[in-house]
Amino acid sequence: MIRDITIGQYYPQDSVIHRLDPRTKLVGTLVYIISLFLFHNFMGYIIVTLFLAGMIHASKVPFRFMVKGLRAIIVLLMITVLFNMFLTPGEPLVQVGFIQITKEGARIAVFMSIRLVYLIIGSSMMTLTTTPNQLTDGLESLLAPLKRVKVPVHEIAMMMSIALRFIPILLEETDKIMKAQIARGADFESGNLIKKAKSLIPLLVPLFISAFRRANDLAMAMEARCYSGGEGRTKMKPLLYQMNDYRAYAIVGVYLAAIIAMGILL
Amino acid sequence: MSIILDKVNYIYGSGTAYEIMALKDINLVIEDGQFIGIIGHTGSGKSTLIQHLNGLIKATSGGIYYNGEDISDSDFDKKKLRSKVGLVFQYPEHQLFEVNVFEDVCFGPRNLGLTEKEAQLRAFEALRMVGFDEELFYQSPFELSGGQKRRVAIAGVLAMKPEVLILDEPTAGLDPRGRDEILDQIKKLHETTNMSVILVSHSMEDVAKYVSRLIVMNQGQIMFDDTPKEVFRHYKKLEEIGLAAPQVTYIMNQLNEKGIPVNTNATTIEEAKEEILRVFHNRKDEPSF
Amino acid sequence: MGIIKSENLIFEYIRRDEEGNVEAINRAVNGVNLDIKQGDFVAILGHNGSGKSTLAKHLNAILRPTEGDLWIDGHDAKDLNKLWDIRKTAGMVFQNPDNQIIATVVEEDVGFGPENLGIPTAEIWERVDKALKSVNMLKYRKHSPNKLSGGQKQRVAIAGIVAMQPKCIVLDEPTAMLDPNGRKEVIDTITRLNREEKVTVILITHYMEEVIGADQIYVMDQGSVVMQGTPKEIFSRVWELKKYRLDVPQVTLLAEELRNSGLQLPEGILTIDELVDEICQLY
Repeated sequence: MIRDITIGQYYPQDSVIHRLDPRTKLVGTLVYIISLFLFHNFMGYIIVTLFLAGMIHASKVPFRFMVKGLRAIIVLLMITVLFNMFLTPGEPLVQVGFIQITKEGARIAVFMSIRLVYLIIGSSMMTLTTTPNQLTDGLESLLAPLKRVKVPVHEIAMMMSIALRFIPILLEETDKIMKAQIARGADFESGNLIKKAKSLIPLLVPLFISAFRRANDLAMAMEARCYSGGEGRTKMKPLLYQMNDYRAYAIVGVYLAAIIAMGILL
Repeated sequence: MSIILDKVNYIYGSGTAYEIMALKDINLVIEDGQFIGIIGHTGSGKSTLIQHLNGLIKATSGGIYYNGEDISDSDFDKKKLRSKVGLVFQYPEHQLFEVNVFEDVCFGPRNLGLTEKEAQLRAFEALRMVGFDEELFYQSPFELSGGQKRRVAIAGVLAMKPEVLILDEPTAGLDPRGRDEILDQIKKLHETTNMSVILVSHSMEDVAKYVSRLIVMNQGQIMFDDTPKEVFRHYKKLEEIGLAAPQVTYIMNQLNEKGIPVNTNATTIEEAKEEILRVFHNRKDEPSF
Repeated sequence: MGIIKSENLIFEYIRRDEEGNVEAINRAVNGVNLDIKQGDFVAILGHNGSGKSTLAKHLNAILRPTEGDLWIDGHDAKDLNKLWDIRKTAGMVFQNPDNQIIATVVEEDVGFGPENLGIPTAEIWERVDKALKSVNMLKYRKHSPNKLSGGQKQRVAIAGIVAMQPKCIVLDEPTAMLDPNGRKEVIDTITRLNREEKVTVILITHYMEEVIGADQIYVMDQGSVVMQGTPKEIFSRVWELKKYRLDVPQVTLLAEELRNSGLQLPEGILTIDELVDEICQLY
């Protein structure tokens, strides 16, 4: 169950999108996320859908794999839908006692959930097609100007990349410890909130200890391989824009223009 | 006490592109008081199999019966099953979390809803059963050596008073003496309590020495289920699936091929020694011409 | 002088209380003398807690001697300025395969070391190719380490060190967490590196079967070297090894038992073929 979370997981494939420079993908994703909040009409949804569908198709990542990632946010999605549906004032659609669903509420609920789903799929597109290392390289490079104001950009990038590498490992470990404690009669499900929180101790203590042990081991392994921070490091995969990146920037530009135009014109 | 598996199948990631048949048509009867070994290479389904036995994984199809009761019945008490079928995972010391050894071992019995006194009595007994030094009872489990930690973790499961004890590679990462000590302790437990023991292992030498029944898993199926001697007779088949017989089996077979009339079914050093000496002895008794 | 040489090497773990006063001193390495020749395959045996891992961490300057001397390829291990030279000379592979792989793609992980050394991009690629080839993992270069078996992960870790082109590789219980097939993969790989690429190998382990091909074995107990010799010499002292919580390969043990029962077998038999031949000759 816990392994179903696909956000942040890289999906190896050889596609146009996979080969793009991570900086292009980062900027593109940022533009895409902003664009989701720039329109309020039906045409906008069509353009976004076309754009997203085009990207998914070009990435060659199976659609099913992406949808699996949505399971993780299903609760959030439900809450958004319910809140909007019941709490938006307007013309009533259905009314049972004091509970009512308004036309406006239903409309907002539908569109909000589409936006949320698009947001998750869009941003997981980036992580699915970019290795975490490329991603952090991209971030490091895009944020490089901040080094001048003493922001430890390289260190932050390195931490992110390590965190991404260890998330799946720690998830698996959580699964394992949980099972081991269940085998000792632990109960993670029943009881009130306080009891539930208390029942997490046998899970969290071993998990923290393991995480610290891993961090310690990893620090040692990195030192042993002559890691001493960003100074004097070369890159195996230096970031260089290719022709396709310029094309991609152009496509993103046209897309953004279309969305803005839609917002102004309609 | 008995556990019966009837045509058990288990499919991982059912309905996705990554669907894997982890267990295929498993039929198994585990009787009272047996000492069983399970071998198979990584990914052969042994871990999945043992997690079925105490209900941690639910079979995709087929039935599992504990003392004649179907464990998938909605009114079947899963918690009780888990106390009766104790499962010690690989590297069990990674689940320790309490402030001291004694408290950690009390965790299981307390979860069973026993009185504080009873829980403590059980913890005390369990720690004694694994031969844990009484002076260290109130030490933090994190300050112990690897072998000691592992004993504490095993005691944590024993304190639930299981009728079947399953251990997944209990000797992984221990040094040779640590390995022998743990296995000898488990054997002693088996003999004194009549508890059934299921030992998952990678070491053919260890299973040859300790178990009386050996199950070989391959690609989610049971390939052999027999006495170690019978299983190791098929050592060439074992090699085909990436396993091997104990070194002793190879020695005896090679001797036999070279014309020394040893019986090849010896699997432990003790047996091999007796057999080779017997052959030499008989030769000396032969009248010389 | 050998590539690794130590004289009376001592290391103490010092535990301090909250005020910084010394609470306990634990001497983990106690007067060790090593002299390891370039190109040798050396094994260090010892039970858990015998000090072998602490010793290993000195060879890569992760720990520095409390007392005594240690030279790695002529670099004084006590000299802070030589830290990076030492780490370039002696690469280190650790026990847990998951906790030493940094990158999420195999080839990027192998490139991590060369990147740290400031090697130009084109040469990094050459080194990564060569290193992956030498551990037979070239076809997994684009894979995620999470999807590999334990033995494969350890081979990636070895490639990561090989790509730094060290003269010497120290492996600290690289097989302790692997299954028999994984163990074999790793041992075959380092044996090949030693024979073909002439890399000095120092293997720390407590699996006896892995060291029968070594040139030299050191046995440690309580921080000191208590036995030293060729595999034949070491394994003929079965009962002494048992005293140090160790073992001998089954073949050796059987030969020893038979010898004690009166068969005229030579000491220190290490392989099945040897034992079978010797028995046939007697029969």
